[in-house]
Amino acid sequence: MKKLLSLLIVLIMLSSLFVGCGSEQTGEEAEEVTVVKIAFMNPLSGNNADAGQQDLNAAELAVKHINESGGIAALNGALIELVVTDTTSDPTQAQSVAQRVLSDEDIVGIVGTGISGLTLPILPIAEKNEVAMITNSISNDITSQGYRYVFEPVPKGNMFGETQVDFLKALNEEFNLGIKKVAIVYENSAYGVSTAEGTKARAESAGLEVVVNQSYPQGFTDASSLVTTVKQSGAQAIFPVAYTTDAKLIINTMKSMDYNPLIIGGGAGFLWPAMGEELGDNINGLLSVASWNWDSKNISSNPELAKIPEDYEAEFGEFMTEHAGPTYSFVWMFKEAIEKTGSTDSVVIRDALAEMTFENTPAALMQPGITQFGDDGWNVKTHPVMIQWQDGKPRTIYPVSDASSDIIVD
Amino acid sequence: MLLGQTIINGLMIGGVYALIAVGLTIIFGVMKIVNFAQGEFLMVGMYVTWLLYKAIGGSPYLLIPPVIVIMFIFGLLLYKIVVKPVVGKGDTAYILLTVGLSIFLQNVVQLIWGANYFSIETTIKTEAIQMGDVSIQLPRLIAFIGAIILVGGLHLFLKKTDIGKAMRATAENSQVASLLGINPSRSFAIAFAIGVVMAGMAGVLLTPMFYVYPRVGQLFGLTAFVVVVLGGLGNITGALFGGLIIGLVEAFTASYVALDLAPVGTFVVFLLVLLLKPEGIFGGGVRKT
Amino acid sequence: MTDFKELIKKQKYSVFIVILFLLFPLISPSDYITHVMVLIFLFAAMATAWNVIGGYGAQVSWCHATFFAIGAYTSFLLFLRFNISPIISIFAAMIMSFILAMIVGYPSFRLRGVYFSLATIAFAEIVKTLLLYFTDFTGGANGLMLPYKGASLMSLQFKTEIPYYYISFVVLALLIFVTWKFEKSKLGYFLKAIKEDEDAAESLGIKAYKVKLTAFALSAVMISIVGPIYAFNISYIDPIGIGHLDLSIKIGTIAIIGGVATLWGPLLGAIIIIPLSEITNALLGSTRGGASTAIYGLILILVIIFKPEGLISLFDKFKGRKKDKKLKVR
Repeated sequence: MKKLLSLLIVLIMLSSLFVGCGSEQTGEEAEEVTVVKIAFMNPLSGNNADAGQQDLNAAELAVKHINESGGIAALNGALIELVVTDTTSDPTQAQSVAQRVLSDEDIVGIVGTGISGLTLPILPIAEKNEVAMITNSISNDITSQGYRYVFEPVPKGNMFGETQVDFLKALNEEFNLGIKKVAIVYENSAYGVSTAEGTKARAESAGLEVVVNQSYPQGFTDASSLVTTVKQSGAQAIFPVAYTTDAKLIINTMKSMDYNPLIIGGGAGFLWPAMGEELGDNINGLLSVASWNWDSKNISSNPELAKIPEDYEAEFGEFMTEHAGPTYSFVWMFKEAIEKTGSTDSVVIRDALAEMTFENTPAALMQPGITQFGDDGWNVKTHPVMIQWQDGKPRTIYPVSDASSDIIVD
Repeated sequence: MLLGQTIINGLMIGGVYALIAVGLTIIFGVMKIVNFAQGEFLMVGMYVTWLLYKAIGGSPYLLIPPVIVIMFIFGLLLYKIVVKPVVGKGDTAYILLTVGLSIFLQNVVQLIWGANYFSIETTIKTEAIQMGDVSIQLPRLIAFIGAIILVGGLHLFLKKTDIGKAMRATAENSQVASLLGINPSRSFAIAFAIGVVMAGMAGVLLTPMFYVYPRVGQLFGLTAFVVVVLGGLGNITGALFGGLIIGLVEAFTASYVALDLAPVGTFVVFLLVLLLKPEGIFGGGVRKT
Repeated sequence: MTDFKELIKKQKYSVFIVILFLLFPLISPSDYITHVMVLIFLFAAMATAWNVIGGYGAQVSWCHATFFAIGAYTSFLLFLRFNISPIISIFAAMIMSFILAMIVGYPSFRLRGVYFSLATIAFAEIVKTLLLYFTDFTGGANGLMLPYKGASLMSLQFKTEIPYYYISFVVLALLIFVTWKFEKSKLGYFLKAIKEDEDAAESLGIKAYKVKLTAFALSAVMISIVGPIYAFNISYIDPIGIGHLDLSIKIGTIAIIGGVATLWGPLLGAIIIIPLSEITNALLGSTRGGASTAIYGLILILVIIFKPEGLISLFDKFKGRKKDKKLKVR
């Protein structure tokens, strides 16, 4: 037993040395900075790996663009290094990954994560280490905890539902659709619940009758029962909130049951390239809300910014997604904050982010083209947009101030 | 309409469950392995289908013969390399081995093709047969019929062929079987490979309905266990009826109780069966061990 | 004389080891390393609890994450709603777990072997779905978040990982001590007899059903102690993250890789598995997704093929111990 125990000790010490070796190289601050480290945290394995991969593509593209255009001028052309980490899709592991990465004191900021359930456990770690985190998760809880080191440039979950309903109202008025009965179906996840809550509240106050308000288990194998229920209710419009696989099931089942209400998707699964591939030409006309879209007016009207989604598409073979766009701009936000302060101190950078206004630069991709954080760290300027798939890509159609295409009604 | 549609919904998804459960059953029946990697075999089958479809094209259903061959070889290799060393080392070893295998396969596939969702172009996926108010989705109907054919075929194989008889003898008692000159290791290998092939066939039939992605097997893993136990562990026809019953329970819970409680309905029925009739509704499986 | 010498030597080792562990936070190079140690202790504690029924009893349970989740939810809800300190609510968590263990175990132990395992999976799924369903009470899929209100022992919140280190160390020591007591108790003795041959044990007058149920409840209560500490450490819980079958499998895996039905096996398992997943993540996480997890799965396969009785058996050679620790499920 004693041999065993002593071996255990040796093992522990060894493993800790092994893991710890990466973190002991600090204290070279005084010398000139040639590399600025930004941590990228997103799930690259497990359930949410597809979203994480889009984020990674975008962040790497941003770093490439910055470094190719001469790096950070304020630091004599210092280059940005992206410290890529896989948070996995497991909150525990995400937390310890964050601790590991942040034990490197040279990290000036964090980009990620795009999944609320992973961002929430990382928040306290970022706070303790005093490193700013710019996240594209949309949960309402993120900026309501009083954390100072988190920034959320994207719209909040409940705003999606509001935009969806406002859009339906506008449609009703403009095209005289006479839609009164609506159905809300959503996946039982943080994202689904917060979106659906917003939709329901706004729909009721807008005088619409919510005939179905139903959640379903995430990753279900059969949408028949769901579609049967909605069809029976006589809903004229449906607001589905679903990730990729569930979205596919719902859409295909509705088609095969010959039930064709107005579909106003709740983002995510209704926006991703996989959906376009799946439905082929049938995708055109599909509507959805989006936290961001690649051809919103603030981007498409600015040739310099319009090049970004083009480069992305050329590089990765698919249009820039709702996850990718914001992540791209986050890297630029850090870049601009460093340019402004000339510092690589993560506290200074946090304070700069909190005060700065981003406008007409790659850091301001979020509509309406201006990003500014409130006291809680949330981007007070932004709002979601509505998209319609046209020619195999989602195009911004609402609100009018962001629209780059007209809605097509058949 | 609701009643009729609910019954159809239940039967159709039940066929899908049966399809996946059959492979699990034959492996358990002969080898007494609870295979936690069956969902991943299904996933591999779907990737094979998708790759072949990209290379050859045509209707996905025409890809069944090459998929069978590829999956059979894959199953045999897997048995020789991974499973064989563990034979006879107890149930827990099997469980952990297959858990490890499932983690491994999922992530290797992700490593190679990424976490993206792929699908194949076929018009069949949104087609349906209308019968009055009730509609039957065509891909599900095909999967349903496929399940029945598979179960029938497998049944005949076990009853009529020499290999099948040898496998049944091994399932009954592998020691006695080896005294009779039957090589249990060979029976195990074939049973395992057939189980993998079944997952591959299920893969072909499911590809029009579901995206092809690394975690797709996880959608069915637990339900497949429920189906197998319900039908009686090791009972092939039981798996078919088990699948249909679970499909119906799920559809009825979803239509008449609450949509997101459908899994609860499934597992409550499962527990009731376990407690009242642990040998499965259709018996014939392994009784108390 | 030699015996006496041995004893002294043994004592020296124990003292040395305990001191090392107690001093570790002082020499720990970073909060991260301390955090990994906390995870090792917590997972070792969970695996130790699992071992009581899964190892000594060979009743492989796949619903231990559920008891863990019950502990975490009980303490979180009591703290968030009524401001009751987790140090007190830990007892409520134990009671909740005990009740649930009775509900789960009462029917499940009518079954043997695989059937028992599958029943526990079904229970775990039901509880998880219900946690998701009763959104008003449990926060549903949104999970529950613990805002940081300053360091305090009563609210188990600290600025650094060091207090968690000592707390989890104490919990682990406590659970190992309980297991040690259990191993030597009548209950443990009966359970081992049942594992060897249930029918024979019954014929000797051992009430197998009752013994298994008691051990199961003990195991559940043990793991529910870990729940609150874990939850307050991570400060965020949700049904998918902590009530999932994957977590149950991880707990069982740690015990089995270390060596079931041994006092130190679960700790060894945690010492290997936790740093392993951290190291593979650190070295391979930034490459294409999947590599680190794939290696983790591969190692699991290799251990099962080459050392199915657990890595603790590597130490058996020194002691010439009988190899009767192999896990058999009947």
